[in-house]
Amino acid sequence: MSDKNIVDSFIRVARIIANLDAILAEAKNLSLTAKNARVVALRAGDSASGFKPITNFIDEFSEQTIKTTTHISTLSNQLFKIALEAVRSTQFDIHVGDATILMSTPQLVTLQHKAKLDRQQQTKKLEIALLELESFFEEINKQMRSAEYIAVTSRVEASNAGEFSDSLQSVSDFIASAARTIKQSVTVNLNEIHTLRGTLH
Amino acid sequence: MKATQLYQAASHSWLMFGRDEGKPEKIIDTNQYLVKGKGQAVLLDPGGTELFSPMLAAILQHIELQELTTLFASHQDPDIISSLGLWDKALPGATLHAPWLWEGFIRHFGMSNIKYQGIKDEGGDIRLNDISLKLIPAHYLHSSGNFHVYDPQAKILMSGDVGAALEKTNAPIFVEDFGAHVKHMEYFHRRWMPSNRAKANWIARVKELNIEIMAPQHGRLFKGEAVTEFLEWFAKLDVGIAT
Repeated sequence: MSDKNIVDSFIRVARIIANLDAILAEAKNLSLTAKNARVVALRAGDSASGFKPITNFIDEFSEQTIKTTTHISTLSNQLFKIALEAVRSTQFDIHVGDATILMSTPQLVTLQHKAKLDRQQQTKKLEIALLELESFFEEINKQMRSAEYIAVTSRVEASNAGEFSDSLQSVSDFIASAARTIKQSVTVNLNEIHTLRGTLH
Repeated sequence: MKATQLYQAASHSWLMFGRDEGKPEKIIDTNQYLVKGKGQAVLLDPGGTELFSPMLAAILQHIELQELTTLFASHQDPDIISSLGLWDKALPGATLHAPWLWEGFIRHFGMSNIKYQGIKDEGGDIRLNDISLKLIPAHYLHSSGNFHVYDPQAKILMSGDVGAALEKTNAPIFVEDFGAHVKHMEYFHRRWMPSNRAKANWIARVKELNIEIMAPQHGRLFKGEAVTEFLEWFAKLDVGIAT
């Protein structure tokens, strides 16, 4: 990986973290919506009996998404450290290479060998961290696919809730819209990760 | 990178590195000093990132890498120590002696392996086997936490930014005509040094030392009579002009 690529990777990690905030905010809104929907469903009584288990589902996957996003957040902060180490190893390798051009001694050749090895190890670490991050985002995507399915089911249940139908309908719309927003952010992040991984080779 | 031997004895030697013609044009030229003892060496004010490669190549012509056990930073400026992140990779077992005041700042240059040995305000020493280098307080000259290095045996004072001159990379190593040299250092001292009181304290402290060579971090070195001429000139100079 070149010096420029590794610095670019910093910017990509920063973008991923910025997108995480958007995902986390949306997941928190989903959780809040689930709680509100449960209250509405209780008030609606028998007419919204089918909606109650749906609110439990929403609650469950939004909590799951918050948990996954928090994991990602921790991992992303580690990713910054790993990327910084990779930048330093790359710069060290480049500088030792320059020193070798100025004067090639057995000591410098050994140091250059060490520098290359360290750079490879740091790049490998970055690659592993990116793979882990990718799997977390795939997990969120799965959760959002469930959310979209629930949004459709809840629309059917909302239509049977009489005077509470509109309130519950808006819950269904919100779930669908939040899932879409989160999926978009995840897609952006997965693209960033793919590009990042591409620069490592 | 030019290497000049300043002192040679059975116990240790002093080398000055500088006048790097390969350096990028707009960065200030710096003098780095290597004190080489028996199996141990210290690099004084190792320099900026841009200088790491030529410095590494130059140093390895004189010592084995594992002999370089110690680094010293007189203060926190980038031309003094921004290469730290790279030395940290090259010398993971080394110790950096630097003002305690600047630890949290200097670590921004990258320091995962090297040990930070904070120098107390009153000074201290660096020991290399049987050699002892004295760390002389030079606070506010120009940095608020600043030290110079004095070697009583070699009678060399590494004076950091005091005595510094802004000159081209082909300037001679030693001041030959003090009067003619003043124009290269007057603005630097008046602008970079903030305190007349700190200056007077430092002069009083340094006058107690037996100095044969005064070796600043930029420009020419002062030898013999030129050291006295410098101290007299500096005593009269009004500093801290940008007020």
